This record gives sequence, C-alpha cells and structure tokens, in this order.
Amino acid sequence: MPPSLLASIGVAIAAQIAMTAIGLGLAATWLVVAGQLVFALAAGVQLARFRRRNGVWLGGFASRVVLGTATAASLTYAVALAAAIWAAYGDRWWLVALSSALGGAAYALSGRRWLDRYRRDPATHARGESVAWLALLLAAAIGGLAMLAVST
Amino acid sequence: MAELDEHVVAPARLRLMTMLTAVSAAEFATARETLGVSDSVLSKHLGALEEIGYLKRRKDVDHGRRTTWISLTPRGRRALSAHVAALRALIDGID
Repeated sequence: MPPSLLASIGVAIAAQIAMTAIGLGLAATWLVVAGQLVFALAAGVQLARFRRRNGVWLGGFASRVVLGTATAASLTYAVALAAAIWAAYGDRWWLVALSSALGGAAYALSGRRWLDRYRRDPATHARGESVAWLALLLAAAIGGLAMLAVST
Repeated sequence: MAELDEHVVAPARLRLMTMLTAVSAAEFATARETLGVSDSVLSKHLGALEEIGYLKRRKDVDHGRRTTWISLTPRGRRALSAHVAALRALIDGID
C-alpha cells in the first residue's frame, strides 16, 4: 500500500466536493469541472502507484476504495456533497468547508475499512464492479452535475 | 464425492491459482517471485492452464517495459473451488 494513498484520496474528494459546491453556488461551471479533474488525476496517479508497487491489479480496491462504490463511501459522499451544495447556495462557506472535510475523511475511512476486510478475506473482496457498471455510474454522475450546472 | 482436478494438483499450479483468487490480475514477475520459480517453469504452467481455459494472459506496456498480466477465468475459479472442496472432503477423513 503506497504511503498516504488513502489520505490523498480523502483530500482529493474533499477538494472535489468543495469545488463542486462552490462552483454551483457561484455559477462557475469551470470550477465544477476542475473539481472532477482534480479527483480524476489523484485517482489515476494513486491507482498507477498501487499497481506498480504491488504488481497486481485489484478491481475491488479500484472501485470500492478509489471510486467510492462501497456503501459507506457512496452514502457519506452523497450526504456531504448535498450539504456542501446547500451551504454554498446559502453563502455558508464555513459549512461548505466542514462538509467537504468530513466527506473526504469518511471516504478515506471507508477505504480503510475495505482494506481491513480484504486482508481478512482476499478472495471474497478482490473483485470490484464491472467496467460497464462503473461507466454507467460515471455517466449518471456527470449527467447529474451537468443538470445542476445548467439549472443554476 | 467431488474429484480432485488433475490440472490443479501440482503444488505450483495450486499456489498460482490460489494467489490469483486474491487479485483481479497479477503481473508475470509478481507471480514468479511469489511462487519462487523460474520464468520457464511459470510459463509452462501458464500455458497449460491457459490451454484448458483456467486463466488468461494479457500483454501490456508499462513505462516502455513489456509486461504480461495473468488472471483467473470464471471457469478457473469454479475449478479451483471444486478442487479445494474435494481436498477438504479428503482431509475430513484424517484424525
């Protein structure tokens, strides 16, 4: 496990939530897009580091830890993002920062939880969601953000 | 009683397939180091297991270096599970 991997994923998620919320609150679409790019870059770098360091590819790690398809990660992310967007529309910037930080921390903790489970039972947790399912989720997320951006 | 799978009986093949259940795919060099065998021995086992559809190989390039990725097929996973079940049934008879 590369050092600081979970921390950097958590920070990237916090940045992505904050940039998305602020971008929507200020009607700055470029900031929303930049937030997605920050996370995509961090995720890509960390996955490449993990693969090179360990000489293995773990679908479960990529989807559950990095892309956040674990139940805890997806739920806490959704709540944090919704809270941050609501706060941004009301100019409560301190709440945007708090929601983003908590969302990132919960995301990283969910990743730690998955890793503990994987270490106890690798065969059960090694594989993640299919590429088709991940592509569908990605398309839905982009579509949702695009609709939010257009409506503001 | 389930039968042992003759294709998985060899210790190196059993270890290789067991290792592959814990990952989605493993690099050739990683598998070789984990098993402690030579390139040629690993290639021989990979060829045999690939021929019967238990695993697949995929070529890749990483920073200009050619690599081979190995992964179990669904058939290979089923075969390993059945083999392990047969082994467990055998072991149950030992005091």
